[in-house]
Amino acid sequence: MKLLSSFKKELILASRGFYFYVELIFALVILAVLLFAIPQNFSGTSTEYLYFNLPQEGKEVFTNHLLEEDLDAKSEMVEIEADGKTFKAELIVTDEEEIYIVDSEEAVRTLAYSEKVIGAVLGLDENNQLHYKYYLQGYESTRLKNLISILNNESTDVLKERIDNQEVRPLSTGYEPLNDRENTIPPLIGFSGSLMGMFIMASYIFLDKKEGVIKAYAVTASSVWRYLMSKIFVVLLTSVVSGLIIIMPVMGFRINYGLLLLLLLTTGFFASSLGLLIASFYNNLMKAFGVIYLLVILLMVPCIAYFIPGWGPVWIKIIPSYPMLQGFKEIILPNGNIAYPLIASAGFLAVGIVLFAITNIRFKKTLSV
Amino acid sequence: MIKVEGLYHSYSNDDNFALKDVNFEVAKGEIFGFLGPSGAGKSTTQGILTGLLQLQKGNVSVAGYDIKNISRKMFNKIGMSFEQSNVYSKMTAKENLSFYSKLFDVETRDPIELINLVGLNGKENIKTGEFSKGMKHRLTFARSMINNPSMWFLDEPTTGLDPAIAADIKDIIKEHNSKGVTVFLTTHNMFIADELCNRVGFIVDGVIKLIDSPKNLKLQYGKKLVEVEYAQDGNVKKETFSTIMQKDKNLLNQIIADKEILTMHTKEATLEEIFIKVTGRGLV
Repeated sequence: MKLLSSFKKELILASRGFYFYVELIFALVILAVLLFAIPQNFSGTSTEYLYFNLPQEGKEVFTNHLLEEDLDAKSEMVEIEADGKTFKAELIVTDEEEIYIVDSEEAVRTLAYSEKVIGAVLGLDENNQLHYKYYLQGYESTRLKNLISILNNESTDVLKERIDNQEVRPLSTGYEPLNDRENTIPPLIGFSGSLMGMFIMASYIFLDKKEGVIKAYAVTASSVWRYLMSKIFVVLLTSVVSGLIIIMPVMGFRINYGLLLLLLLTTGFFASSLGLLIASFYNNLMKAFGVIYLLVILLMVPCIAYFIPGWGPVWIKIIPSYPMLQGFKEIILPNGNIAYPLIASAGFLAVGIVLFAITNIRFKKTLSV
Repeated sequence: MIKVEGLYHSYSNDDNFALKDVNFEVAKGEIFGFLGPSGAGKSTTQGILTGLLQLQKGNVSVAGYDIKNISRKMFNKIGMSFEQSNVYSKMTAKENLSFYSKLFDVETRDPIELINLVGLNGKENIKTGEFSKGMKHRLTFARSMINNPSMWFLDEPTTGLDPAIAADIKDIIKEHNSKGVTVFLTTHNMFIADELCNRVGFIVDGVIKLIDSPKNLKLQYGKKLVEVEYAQDGNVKKETFSTIMQKDKNLLNQIIADKEILTMHTKEATLEEIFIKVTGRGLV
């Protein structure tokens, strides 16, 4: 009864406050970005400028070779304006590239400079051997530069043979990947739904500290844990609502919502307990800001690993946001591993309980602060 | 109702004590005034008695509960009015009191009745963020009565209130005390202490210097003189007589019998004068 009264009071306060709406509006903004700004699949098309400084027959051989990969097997004559000049070009569009074949090295140089893309000139040296000249931007990786060197120093036939004979063994069969829009959901839901709870919880506590109402609560027959738990309930409610605002319109009924709610609630409990613990050490948001900022930075590191599959050091896996992101990902994957979010939920619940217990002790000790 | 023995408290957990060997008792139904300047240790003592501060050293019992192992049930018997108003500014006066009324296990008072009692009639549905400082203070005072406390802690209950409202608050305190409520009054206002308290304790630098009733203190430290103004031959004459010396007593009797008395005052020492005399310190 006391817990319910405290929860109702917190709902009234939240509905008349600022932070409650910030989270919901933030969720709506994220949804709008997901639906209207992030395409289902990002385009991987790159642009290149080429000049064949070769006899006519040579030019035709290379152009025809490129035309084999053109989407409609036909090139298109276009004009490109750059640096106040107009260049004529033959455009070949493939699945991955837009290749402009221009008619001078000057055109390649100017376009590479103004359009900030790679340009190449294919010519003959004094021994009548093919000679490659690249116009790079300077920020290309050493790997790419090395690759370009190898391409030019080894026979392309040898390289092709090696690549063709490469044995590829899929480690996971039946794996159905997410599209780019769906793949963006776990970090967004993790940060807006769960980790935002940490910041909002701390804000709620600092508001109460400012008004001194914690002391008033402390001299009632209700325990401090009820006061703290009622706040957590409000944060969990907003986490669930904002999480569903983001997920439902994108994923529809294709995912296990029971599992999603479980992970949203347990990660929200963990994050809000963390927010409570931080708030128990400080008197106002300004003083706590440094710690909150550092924590948010730390918790964002797994996000980098999430978007760069090739980078995932072991230490990153102990940062709580890592299992959070992976848990949400497994839930929205069509054939995701159910055990992962269940285990992650149990972990977040356990750590959240420990943090809450410590926080309860700290609040009892520091009520007069 | 309150028993404090050998109470020490240090905020820095060293020998720099904010309270040093504090001992006192408050009887059931008594109004006990705890008086001292800012930083004397009044709030620290009250914080320990109400469980807001942890007991470090000493024995303290309040309303029959040992503060070492504080029980939430104790707060069913306790009411606390804070010096700094602490109500939810986004909630109305009625919502504030209704919420707190649900946090006790005992019968509670009607929020509207309490709101009216402290002179906030018609303000029950206004958010307290729109209240003046004095109105918030009155609501904080009203909240402290919500659970019908038998032990009432009042921290500067009339601070910031206009004289008429302050008089009403004093009347409410007297009325509750007449019904058996024990009051622990923390203040630096000697007039309210003098008017309300059965006994007062003077605390300075964490040490209790003296505990006695205001009447005894005045008898002990007052000058025992009477100042008389009377009419004589069309003029106003003013004389001071000792209430101890026989010669002065005779003269005073004669004047009362023969002259027209305009004013007559005993030259009692005020509590503030006594405090300064006892502690060597002012109250600010």
